Parts: sequence; C-alpha cells; structure tokens
Amino acid sequence: MLRKGITESFGAAIHAFNTTQLTDGVINRSKRMMLDTLGVGLLGTRTAVFNKALTYSQLFMSHESSSVWGKSEVNLPPHYAAFVNGIAVHSMDFDDTWHPATHPSGAVLPALLALAETLPSQPSGLDLLLAFNVGIEVQGRLMRFSREAYNIPERFHPPSVVGVMGSAAASAKLLGLSPAQCTNALAIAASSAGAPLANAATQTKPLHIGNAARRGLEAAQLAQRGLKGNPAILDMNCGFGVYYKDYSPSAMAVPASSDFKWILEDQDVAFKRIPAHLGMHWVVDAALAARAKLENSVRNFDLSQIRNVTLRVPPSKYVDCPFPATEHQARHSFQFNASSALLDNKVTVSSFSETQINRPALKELLSKVKVETPKDNLPSFDKMYCEVEMETDQGQRYVARCDTFYGHWRKPLSQKDLVEKFSVNASSVLCTEGVEGVIDVTGNIERVRECSILGSYLRMTSSQHEQLYSTRSW
Amino acid sequence: MISKLQKTIRPVWAVRGLHKSAVEVLRHPAPEDTVTASFGKFISEVKPQHLSSVVLHRSKRMVLDSIGVGVIGSTTDVFELALQHCQHMYAPDDISSVYGRRGTRLSPTLAAFVNGVATHSMDFDDTWHPATHPSGAVLPAVLALSDMMSANSKPSGLDFLLAFNIGIEIQGRLMRFSNEAHNIPKRFHPPSVVGTMGSAAACARLLSLDPSQCSHALAIATSLSGAPMANAATQSKPLHIGNASRLGLEAALLASRGLEASSLVLDSVTGVAGFNAFYEDYVPQPLELSNDDGHMFLLEEQDMGFKRFPAHLGMHWVADAAASVHKILVGFGPGTVSPAQVQDILLRVPKSKYINRPFPDSEHEARHSFQFNACSALLDGEVTVQSFTPAAIRRPDLLALLSRVRMEHPQDNPANFNSMYGEVQVTLVGGDILKGRCDTFYGHWRNPLTNESLRKKFRNNAGAVLPSEKVERLIDVVEELDRLGDCRALLSQLQ
Repeated sequence: MLRKGITESFGAAIHAFNTTQLTDGVINRSKRMMLDTLGVGLLGTRTAVFNKALTYSQLFMSHESSSVWGKSEVNLPPHYAAFVNGIAVHSMDFDDTWHPATHPSGAVLPALLALAETLPSQPSGLDLLLAFNVGIEVQGRLMRFSREAYNIPERFHPPSVVGVMGSAAASAKLLGLSPAQCTNALAIAASSAGAPLANAATQTKPLHIGNAARRGLEAAQLAQRGLKGNPAILDMNCGFGVYYKDYSPSAMAVPASSDFKWILEDQDVAFKRIPAHLGMHWVVDAALAARAKLENSVRNFDLSQIRNVTLRVPPSKYVDCPFPATEHQARHSFQFNASSALLDNKVTVSSFSETQINRPALKELLSKVKVETPKDNLPSFDKMYCEVEMETDQGQRYVARCDTFYGHWRKPLSQKDLVEKFSVNASSVLCTEGVEGVIDVTGNIERVRECSILGSYLRMTSSQHEQLYSTRSW
Repeated sequence: MISKLQKTIRPVWAVRGLHKSAVEVLRHPAPEDTVTASFGKFISEVKPQHLSSVVLHRSKRMVLDSIGVGVIGSTTDVFELALQHCQHMYAPDDISSVYGRRGTRLSPTLAAFVNGVATHSMDFDDTWHPATHPSGAVLPAVLALSDMMSANSKPSGLDFLLAFNIGIEIQGRLMRFSNEAHNIPKRFHPPSVVGTMGSAAACARLLSLDPSQCSHALAIATSLSGAPMANAATQSKPLHIGNASRLGLEAALLASRGLEASSLVLDSVTGVAGFNAFYEDYVPQPLELSNDDGHMFLLEEQDMGFKRFPAHLGMHWVADAAASVHKILVGFGPGTVSPAQVQDILLRVPKSKYINRPFPDSEHEARHSFQFNACSALLDGEVTVQSFTPAAIRRPDLLALLSRVRMEHPQDNPANFNSMYGEVQVTLVGGDILKGRCDTFYGHWRNPLTNESLRKKFRNNAGAVLPSEKVERLIDVVEELDRLGDCRALLSQLQ
C-alpha cells in the first residue's frame, strides 16, 4: 500500500488554514454564495420534500439542538438540522453550481451553521467564513483529481461525492481539530460518499445535499472522538478513487503564507436564475431569444403556428426528459424548460407547479420538441451551448443560440440581482426585518462578532401567509 | 396506457450497450415491468409460508450467531465510541435496546447503528457467497424497528423472521447481478452496497409498506449505499455495517412518509447510473414470486459461512492450514512451537491487497492479514478472540515468525470465497519441509458448523457479557422464533 501522504497533506492543510489567508476576492465571492444559499434554503423550507424530512427528523431528540431555517419554533439535533436545511437548499435545484460540476455551498453551510450553534464559545463571522471556504476549497481540490469530474456526471451525483468531504473538512476546521483528526474526518466521510445519479430528477435528490452536510459533520465529530479511518483514503484507488474511472490525486500544500491561491478565486460559481438543473439555463435563454425573433417578425404571434422545435444540447441522459410527470423531472428536462420559455416568455419559480406542468398547451408544445446532440456540444458546464430552432407552419425558421447564460461564471449575476434573488426568495418565509438582517449580516460577515446572530434572523418568519412565488421575470 | 408492444421491448432494457435512443425517447417501460418494481412487489407480497424449513433453520442460526457476535462486540472500543457519539449527539430515547448494555436505549436508527457496529466490530460475523456480511446489516434494524412498534402490534416471531429473510434474500439477489460481486471485493465494501438495501427491504416489509413504497425504500437506500474498500482493515469498517443497518431503516421510514425516488434504480439505464454505479458489470433480473406456494430463497441454495475466530473470512483457510502444521511440529518435539525452529514460511493464497499485510499495526489490520493469522495459528495451534489483543499482536515470537513469511499467489487460487484455498509451507531450520493445506475450513458453507459448535460460539460470545440465564433463554427463544406469537420475548433478552 503506497502512501504518498496526500491525505495527510489535506489534514495538515485543513488544520493550518487561518483567517489571514482569506483574500478580498475569495471573501467577496464566498459571501455571495452564502447569501444565495440562505435564500434558496429559506424558499426550500416550503417544499414537500423538506416537510417529509422535517417530520422524519423530529423523531430524534437531543440535549443540544440547532435551528431549522425559516421555522421560528422548531429545533432539531444538529445533524438533523444540517440534514433538513441542506435538503431545503437543494429542494428546488436553485442552488449554486461550480466547475467542475457540483453544488458546493449546500453541503457545507447548513453543517457549519448547525455546528456553530452548539459550540460552547460562539465562532465569529470570520471563523465561519474561513471554515466555509475550507469546505469549498477541499471540494474543488478533490474534483481536480479526475478528468471524469469535469463533465456532466453519469454515475455518481457529485455533491454526494465531494460534498460530504467538504462538509467534513469545514466542520473539522470549525471544531479546531488536529491535523490527524482532520485526516480521519476525511477518511470517515469517504465511507459516506457516493449516491448514484439515478435519484437526480426525483424527490430524493435534495437528500444528497442534506446527507452530505449531515454526514460530513458527523464524520468530523466521530474523528474528534478518536475514530480512525484509513489515513491514505485520498491516496488510494480503492479509497476515494472508487468514485471515479480515472483518478490521479495530488497533495495539498500547507497554506503557510498569506498569499494562498484559493480555487474559488480562479473559478467562480454560477448562480441560478431558475430553479432547475444548470443546463436548463442555456436552453431557456436560447428559447427566449428565438421567441423574441419570432415575435419581432410576425404580427399577431401565436404559438400554434409553431410546427416543430429543435433543441441542440449536449448529451446528458438525466436531463433529457420529453414528458416530465413531476416537478423534479421538469427541473431536469431540456424539453420542458424550452417549452415553458416559449409558452410564457419566462421561466420562474412558479413554472414547476403541478398545474403548470400539466397545462394542455404546454404538453402540446412538448410533443413538437425534438432533441439533437451535436458532436461539438460537450457535456461540460464550461463548454456547452444550447440552440433552439423553431419552424413555423409557414416554413419560417428562427434560431437562437446561448453560449453563456446570465448567471454563469463567465457572466456573473450583478450584486444587485443576486440580492434581489435573495430578497424574493427569503420574503416568502421571513419578515422584512429578517430578510434585511440576513443581507446585512452576510454582507458584513467578516466583521460580525458572533455568527449566531445570523441564525436569529433566519428564524424571523413573517406572520402573514407566504407570498406565492414572485412574478418577477428574468 | 402503453401498448402491449412494450413487453417485447422490455427485455432489451436490461441489456447494456444496446442503442435504442429512438425507442427511449418515445417510450418508457410500463412501471410494473421494471426490475425495480418487481423487487418492491416481492418485498411486499412474499408470504411466511414461502419460508421452507431449511430456510427457517438456516436463518435462525444466523440470528443466533449475529446476536452473539453483536453482544461480544459491545465490549470493543469502536462500539463504545459509536455509542458515546450517539448518546452525546442525541438525547436518550426509551425505544430501542442496545446490545449488552442494560438499560441503554436509543432512537431506532441509532440503536441499529450501534448494534450494527458491534456486530462487525471484530469481523466475527457471518459471510455469504457472493461475499458480504448479510446479517449485521439487517438484524439490528429489524430489532430496532420491532422495538419501535407499539406494544399491541409487535411482529410475531414468524413475521420477524420473514422480514429478516427478505433482507437477506434481497442482498443475495442484488449480488447476482454482477460477476464482480462473486470475487473478493476491490472497490466498494459489499455490506455498504447490498447491506443497506437489505436493511431497507426488511424494514419496508416490517412496516407493511405497499409495493410502490417498498421500491422507493430501495431507491432511497441506494443513495445511501457504497463505501470504499480502503476503510476495511481500519477502525471505521464496522461503521459500514452500522450505517447499512441504520440507513436502510431510515430509507424505509422515509418511504413510509411518502418520500419518492427513482423508479428505475435497479434497472440499467444508459447514461444515468442507478444501483449499477457500484459495479463494473451489471445485468439485473426481475425478482418474481411464482404463482404456487414456492419461492426458492437463495439461502436454501447457498448456505452461510460462520467464523470460528474474529477475522476476515480468508484468514480461516490459512489458520486451518497452519494449525495442521502446528500439530505436526508439536508432535515432533516440545509442546510449543518456537521461532527458532522455523527458517521460512511460505503462504500460497489468493491475491488480495487488503488482506496482505506483513506487519499489521493494529487489531483491525491483524484481522485482515494472511501473514498474521497464519503465524498465530502456527504458534498457538489456533486463532481465537484473544489472538488479537494488543499484547498478543506484539509478541516477540509472533514478530519473529512474521519476518520469515513469503507470499505466493498461484494462478489456480482465485480471490473467491467459493474456490480459494490456503496453503502453508514451513521450512524448518534442519531443512525439513512441512505443508498444510486447507480447501474448506470448518465453518465454511461446504463444511458448516454443527449446531453444537454454533451454540458453543454463541455461549462464549454472549456469555462474556450477559448472565448465563439470558444466554440460555436467547438460545431457546431463537430456536422457537418462528413459533413465537410475539417477538418481545427476543427483544427483552438482548441487554
């Protein structure tokens, strides 16, 4: 068994990270991620999957408990708070996406906030920010160990692979574990990794993030208690390498100086404008553009004039769903998202309700859609494009292409739009004071003395009935 | 409704590599025709009368052995750690008993977790072919869930045993979907793959879920399956079984609340991996209940292996081979074997990295070391629970022997528990060569432990923790299990 010391280097690095390594660039980007994650999480606390998980989690009792976002009176054992809040974050597929592909924040932030609430001495906002970034960095590092990770997944759902490791790393950091304990946290977490992709596009997918958060936290706590795993877990093909067909790990340099190069600084995340799989954003933008072309050239434009629609997309089976039957399938359907965009001239949170999915006009449009996967359209969030071509009854063709949607890392959401997305999401659950409080605290997190204040804002629910999803169109 | 034409296309779905995108785009298999649905249906609909007397007998032996190793496992460090973790992170809950700890109860999934950890903590639990440790993943969950059910609706002993057998059957069926599963594992630790599924199936049955919910329980469990082999031979390995038990129960509970997941998780869908994510080759088959009263449970065709000492199954071959050499050596001269007599030790064993450890550092490594077990048996004539204590591991005599071991991996010795052998060849200082070979160790399914031996093992294990009246009562209760009106008689004896 050849030990190249890679795992130990990770353990040492996690232990060694300190706040002087946080650069302005990474602070800025990670604060945006935190805000977005909290917003989508809050909105997610009103979903069916969240409620099922919450009811289940309430079977457990504990001495110490942590808050459930958007619920002023509910507490859960910390692991289960991390679990349900993580599920909320991913419940609508509205959370951030990175390259190589994963949803990094949902696996980390819920675990950290749940953990922070139980610590005898409250961590500062800066401590939280550091731990968060450690959790993101570790995920980024791990994904760079294989070429397979760079493409849209086919086997394991990435958040279930790297997310639990990120959660373990971040939790270990916040707990102040020793280098050896950090190493063990990663080893223990690896045995909790790896959920197959088949559950994407189902109601269970959000549990991948919820479980990543929960089980990473648990791994760190077991390590703190002295549990040991394989100290070469990252080094070995039969360790972390089992999740990849090609696997080439490398060590992590201990961040000694203050000019540590965070991956997040090199590679930003994408924030979603639509609660759907990232690939849908390209097809929606292309569809909207094609529709505009059609509208501009045809007086009295009417959708029934469309004879057929061709989508040119990258090959990815789990988002190729011609007739989605559930909200989860709809969020993972090129066809559905293109058709919704064409029909409504927008795709929003409310586009995925059962009534909307079952509209006859939508189904009719869906029956006219076909999908092509051109050879030059690579299944990678960094390289893909989407093209939408409509042919009318008159034989006219309207084509539009999207290479980079607004919100992608190449074209990031403006701060204003990011905050607005948060406000719209959070207002469905929190009162104004809560909404503004979260924006304020997150925006100034590096100056916040005790990060528990964030938790109190997250529970300032509004007493009115929640606003049914915003009609703001993107 | 999808047309009858579907049925002719259906078998094609199960075969990989067939290009059928045009068909796929237009149609889906009728829900009831999938492998996943067939499993859900089986779990929900198989009946107690489908349990033959052979299966009843064999599964009761498994239940007894599993409880025994679980109880002695409650004396280990890793169990203590897991228990303290649960007690610290969660409040005490008056629901499900913890093995061997009078008065200690936890929430059902946590009890399943710690009891599962106990069961696998010493690698003393049962092993099947294809390879996995089936009982430790299922029994703790079924016990915990039974504790959870209300007093006036506790399962009967037969219901309990049926649920247990369903948990075992599902594991066996899943492992037969791949050739990879038939060999000693290299990538994923099998209990973490099929064990979780077995636990989910058993619990789904005990919860009386309908076929669709049973399928969803399996699908939810799939997302909780899969741990890498690298953590075998470490202190974390027992958690694989603990988590399999816990998470399978959790999956069933979530399914009972209406959580849904992939309805094709066991089927083979190109481009979207389901359960096949854990295997390189995978050909699923539907699980059908025949119309008459018979269902052949796999346990009837393929018996279980029980261990005589707490170590990886492979160790039993070399231990038996080395023990026969010990007998000859002791016959030669003084009553003990001395390293001074031995010049060289050659082991001919299958090739398997994670059980090839020349100088194990910890008890966990020692349980996964051909070299260690061969030398222990050579020195002592047998390997026992005591062979793995820190003092025993560090004996100078043992270390001396270890330094003289060489390994060979003959072509005809496959890494497969059904076909492997162990050969120990000792060259004495004088030049004499002594050979021992074991093709089938006592306890293997081809040479099963007698009921007498099984009970002796149980008494040694359970008796290390429980008072002898409880030990004897457990033996009686398990023997009577299929005739018990209420499984409480079993539940009350575990601590």
